[in-house]
Amino acid sequence: MRRVALVSICVVTVLSLTSRQAVALEVQITAVEASYDGPSDPRLLNMRPRLRRLVGYRAFRVLQDEKRNCAWQSLAAFSLPGGRLVHVMPKGMRDGEVMMHVQVVNGPRSLVDTDLRLQNRGYMLIGVDDDVHAPGILLIMLKAVE
Amino acid sequence: MAERVMTCEEAAPLLDAFVDAELEGATLIDVARHAASCRACDGTLQERIALHETLGRHGRADADSVDLSGLWTALEPQLAQADARRAWRRRLRSAPVWGGALAIAASALFFLSGPQQATPPTRVAVRPNQAVIERIDSEGGRFELRRERKNGTTLIMVSAMGDDLP
Repeated sequence: MRRVALVSICVVTVLSLTSRQAVALEVQITAVEASYDGPSDPRLLNMRPRLRRLVGYRAFRVLQDEKRNCAWQSLAAFSLPGGRLVHVMPKGMRDGEVMMHVQVVNGPRSLVDTDLRLQNRGYMLIGVDDDVHAPGILLIMLKAVE
Repeated sequence: MAERVMTCEEAAPLLDAFVDAELEGATLIDVARHAASCRACDGTLQERIALHETLGRHGRADADSVDLSGLWTALEPQLAQADARRAWRRRLRSAPVWGGALAIAASALFFLSGPQQATPPTRVAVRPNQAVIERIDSEGGRFELRRERKNGTTLIMVSAMGDDLP
């Protein structure tokens, strides 16, 4: 009887550890067009003052919003308006921080290639200033939730 | 004899010099040893190293945008205490013999008054969007790092055309 209980505990432990490893990181990529004037998207009203302080533009419009589960140590590609790509590779968790490799690609050119640690459930921004959205810019919001 | 480990108050003012490799060998090792055992200082150090590298590669990176205000808010009371302690030690060293007797009496009083509340270790508050850039690169485009103070929201701004950034 004791042996059965012991084996059960081991199986449960292994299964729980395995399932924990298998739990993917939820990555949300939101493409936002920032411009000097025009209406702002209601979804961004809460963060509009923060965005204004960071980038200096007044109006923010969501172009695309995609949320996806990304497996650890696997590269996931998010397509953005204008033919750009965001590559995200979640590398691991440490002390409540998500370690990731993030790359923004425009054709053959890597605009940003970075390794970073982001607070779990936090988000960061990548702003791309090019002629596609001129006189505005493209803002890429990246959120990670374990 | 056990080696004395540097405290956060002692390490904090040396972090910039550490990153710039301006410290003497022994101090350099002390700071490195402290950072290895202190997550807060290690985080600060990593941030500064990343920034240092970014500035080195791209002279236009905006050093002023790095927000260390939270760190200094947390460290200032500790630094003030450390300064006060140092000032007292200097005064005691220059005091006459009766000063020594007074110090012994004060020590006895301190000892008899029971255990003191230990000073809690310095902790830097983690902000909800805090991000640490460990490495960053860009093919041709100009970029800079900006950080919002309240939530620590980080922005990597890149100019794909190589123009000045808005």
